[in-house]
Order: sequence, then structure tokens, then C-alpha cells
Amino acid sequence: MTRDYQGNDMIVADKINKIYPNGCHALKDVSATVHRGEVVVIVGPSGSGKSTFLRALNQLETISSGSITVDGTDMYAKSTDINKLREEVGMVFQNFNLFPHKTALGNVMLAPLKVAKRDAATAETDARDLLKRVGLSDRMDNYPSHLSGGQQQRVAIARALAMKPNIMLFDEPTSALDPEMVGEVLDVMKGLAAEGMTMVVVTHEMGFAREVADRVLFMEDGELLVNETPEAFFDDPENPRLRQFLSMVL
Amino acid sequence: MQTQYKNLGWNALFVLILVALGGLVFLSGKKIDYNWNWQRVVPYIVNNQASAVTAPEDGNIVSNAEGDLALESLAGDVLVDLSEYEDLLVYEGDLIFEGDRLASLEEWRIGPLTEGLIVTIKISLWSLLFAIVLGLIIGLMRISSNPAVKKLSIAYVELIRGTPLLVQIFIVYFFIGTVFDLERFVAGVIALSLFTAAYVAEIVRAGIQSIPKGQMEAARSLGMSYPKAMIYVILPQAFKRTLPPLAGQFINLIKDSSLVSVISITDLTKAGREVVSGSFAPFEVWFTVALLYLLLTSSLSWAIQRLEKRLSASD
Ligand SMILES: Nc1ncnc2c1ncn2[C@@H]1O[C@H](COP(=O)(O)OP(=O)(O)OP(=O)(O)O)[C@@H](O)[C@H]1O
Ligand SMILES: [Mg+2]
Repeated sequence: MTRDYQGNDMIVADKINKIYPNGCHALKDVSATVHRGEVVVIVGPSGSGKSTFLRALNQLETISSGSITVDGTDMYAKSTDINKLREEVGMVFQNFNLFPHKTALGNVMLAPLKVAKRDAATAETDARDLLKRVGLSDRMDNYPSHLSGGQQQRVAIARALAMKPNIMLFDEPTSALDPEMVGEVLDVMKGLAAEGMTMVVVTHEMGFAREVADRVLFMEDGELLVNETPEAFFDDPENPRLRQFLSMVL
Repeated sequence: MQTQYKNLGWNALFVLILVALGGLVFLSGKKIDYNWNWQRVVPYIVNNQASAVTAPEDGNIVSNAEGDLALESLAGDVLVDLSEYEDLLVYEGDLIFEGDRLASLEEWRIGPLTEGLIVTIKISLWSLLFAIVLGLIIGLMRISSNPAVKKLSIAYVELIRGTPLLVQIFIVYFFIGTVFDLERFVAGVIALSLFTAAYVAEIVRAGIQSIPKGQMEAARSLGMSYPKAMIYVILPQAFKRTLPPLAGQFINLIKDSSLVSVISITDLTKAGREVVSGSFAPFEVWFTVALLYLLLTSSLSWAIQRLEKRLSASD
């Protein structure tokens, strides 16, 4: 199984295209590789295909052509069980998408219990540890409606981590947060990065990209235009479109 | 303070209107010279009939050491111990023949209206159960991406909602019932379940579709299969949202169940019709029947409100 995958290339996207049923060509020949332990940040203007690309990496969107290999498994091979593969790819959403009928603890424990079939005691101990790790030891029994945005997003991160994934995907995890809560979520993400988690992060937080990313990708209009180290990306951008984009957001 | 006084006035008006309506009913009864006699209805709900304890075979009445009487057979075995009865009709030393009355017994029995009520409850509960299961399946089929499955469920819902329940009951009873040799009660339950399921399906579909898409995506991204995501994430949330419309539907079910009386099931309505002819109190009987239906529907809506309260913990 892929759990035993030892290779260095955690995600390999090869010339993927996505054409939505309405004809929108959201990804155009996008190729990228993410190595083990790397933090890759994707930036780009609205509608450039960042979310589509990220969601293609755990098959929330199926691609129209090309190939994606995740954690050593060809995602579209006949023998691939997508549910098994998704266990190894955690995802964090812009709107948290916590399960409102479960407490924080219940959210974190649900997939370990029902998908990984861990026993209740183990699942609960793990979940408590994870919530402690994201700084929510005193909020475990709260329902999502009784948590702030920043707290909800940290629960969502803990929930994704509970399946012990090898890769974490983040789609604008701080965009729906009040400014004063952005920091607490970014800190959790920095901690994860420091522990060597392979991460792909779509974000508008340029500071996070510069500080934490190993590489920064720039997308525009469905194309991957730039794939650089943060230094080259921010301090010495060659691509004129990127320069224009940076002049607007920085 | 001010609003409290204002509400007091309105509440008083409410009571006043109710009293006026009651008075109106009373006066209309007067106008047609109707003699209200509510006691006549009571025996149809519960009655208290005397029944007799009789001797199973010939024998003698003897008294034992404690002075209690018993019926002893000619062979000397105790046949009936009379110590547990209060109204004895025999004395010590009596010679008894088979079939003689030994004691009389007062027993509470339920009347025909209560029997009808029980049938209505039974038929409603069974139909409720099947309607939920069938409605859930059809509602899930309705949102399937498979066109055959989806169209089947649409056709079902349109068919059921487009025809009157009364006609459906006749079809189920006379056609399906004859083909499969069904009892009346079963036919009634089937007709009511099929009918209610179509409405439940629409409620379930709307409930599921009201759950944000992100919930399914979050569940799937954790490795849940579609059925698991439905069972553990989507349906529990949809259930909570659909409780109020479901409650309305189930109350309709109870009321619609009165239509099965047309295939001679002695439910509450049919019992009412039968009792009216013998009771000489038609108004009282129908008012009582209405009250009993109201009792059923209001306890159901009370139960569902309780459930809603319990589920609102996560709000
Ligand atoms: N479900 C869909 N059906 C049709 N078109 C879609 C769908 N989702 C996205 N698109 C289109 O695909 C393109 C890329 O969308 P995407 O959401 O990937 O952009 P994005 O870079 O994430 O933008 P944002 O920064 O606003 O989140 C857009 O033109 C969008 O309109
Ligand atoms: Mg997006």
C-alpha cells in the first residue's frame, strides 16, 4: 500500500487539464511536482484555477486529461481505491466545513472511528492530543457554532490530521477569518511545516509564503506560469504577469 | 410591563372567542332541539360489564381451614378456589351442577371507539415506519446521478402525488390486494405507506439538498465513501432540518388513515360510524372521535417537539 511509499515525489501532476461541464477550461497543461516534506504555496488572481488544481489532487474534481500520482499511487489507475488514497491526503477548506452536529472532539474522531476503524479509546486519545496540539484543549466539547472562526479552522486542521495523512492540502485556510485570527491558524500550519509535513497551500498570505514555503507557484488563467523559490519569486520576479500581480497584492 | 398588559388583553380576547364558539355550538344544538347527552358516549369508550364465574363440572361447595369457600368435584379435588372473588353467589354445602354461576365479576372492557382508536394507532405506526424507510430510499434515489434511478423516483413521486389517496386505497385493495391475497389491514398499510412515502421522499430530498456542498466534500476528503458520508454526516443534519415538515406529514398520515375505513377496516372513523347508529348521540360521538384524533396528532407533535429540542444542542 501507499502507506509504505518511500519515494521522494509525493505529488506528481503531469499535464493535467480540467474542463468543467459548462466549458470553462480551468486548468491548462499544468505540471508540477511536490517533494516529500516540501511546503508549496500557490498564489494567483481570483479564478485562476488554484482551487481547481488543489481539489484535483484529492479528486474532489476529476481531471479531463493528464495524470496525477499521489504518494506513489496513480490516482486514475483502475486498481486505485480513491477513498483509501484520500485517507492519506488531508484537506482544509476556506469555510472550515466542520460537521455542525458534532462537537470539536466528535469532528476529529469521526473519520478515525468510521473510516480507519480505530477503537474508540485510541481514537479519543489521539483526538485529544491533536486538539491540544492546535491549542484547543479547553474547547473539545464545544459545537462548531460555539467556536470562533480561528478555532473552527484549527479543529478542521486537527480533523484532517487525525487520519494521519502524508500530505496536507490547504485552500485559502485564512481567507474567511477575521484578521486577528489569521495568526493562530498560520502558527499551527508553521508548526506542521516544521515537523516535515508535505503541504500544498493556496493562500493570499504573502508573508507566510515568503517565510515558510520551499517553493511558490503562480497561476493565472488556468496556467502554471511560475514555479520558484520564495526568494526568486518575491525579490526577483522575471515573469511580467507575476510582477504585475505582486505589485497589486504587496 | 406595557406589552404584558397588552398581551393579557389579547389572551382574554382569545378565551372570549373560544367561549363564544362553544356557546354557538350549544345554541345551534338548542335550535334543532338537540339533547346533549355525553354519558351515552362513555360506554363506547370503556364499559364495566358484569360477567359470571361458572362451574366447570358438577361438585359441592366446601370451606377449608381458613374458612374460604371452594368448589370441590365429586371425586374430592378442588376445582375453583372462590377466595379471590368478592361477590359470591353460593354458600357452603351447596350442590353445584356444571354451568352454575358461582360468583359475579365486574370487569373493565374497552369499547368499540377505543378499539377503533387502537386500530388507527396500529395502522398509523406501521405506515409511518414503512413510509420513512421507503421515503428515504426514494429521496436518495431522487438525488442519484444515475438517470434511470433518478427518473424512477421522479415518476413514483409524480404518480402518487397526482392521484387521490382514496383511489389509491381502492387500487391497492382491489387490485394488488386480490393479486397477492392481502388482508384489509395490510392493504391499508401499504396504501398509506406508498402515499406518505412520496411526500417523505420530497422532504428528504429537500433536506439533503439544503446541506451545504462543503459537508459532503469534507466527509469525502477524509476518506469516507459516499454511503458513509451520507450516514454519518449528511443525513443526521438533514434529519434535523426535516423534522418540522416530517411532523406535518405524519400528522397528515394519522388523519389520512381515516380513509381506510372505506375498505372496511374498523379504525376510529369506521367505529364512529358504527357507534352512531346505536348510540342515539351522533353529535357527541363525532365530537368524541374528533377529540381522539386530536389527542393522537397532538401527542405526536409534542413528541417531535421534544426530539427537536434534544437535537438543538448543537445550535
Ligand atoms: N463547479 C464549477 N463549474 C464550472 N466552472 C467552475 C466551477 N468551479 C470553478 N469554475 C471556474 O473555473 C475557474 C477556476 O476556478 P477556481 O475556483 O479554481 O479559481 P481560484 O483560483 O480558486 O479562485 P479564487 O481565488 O477566487 O478561489 C473559474 O473561472 C471558475 O469560474
Ligand atoms: Mg479558490
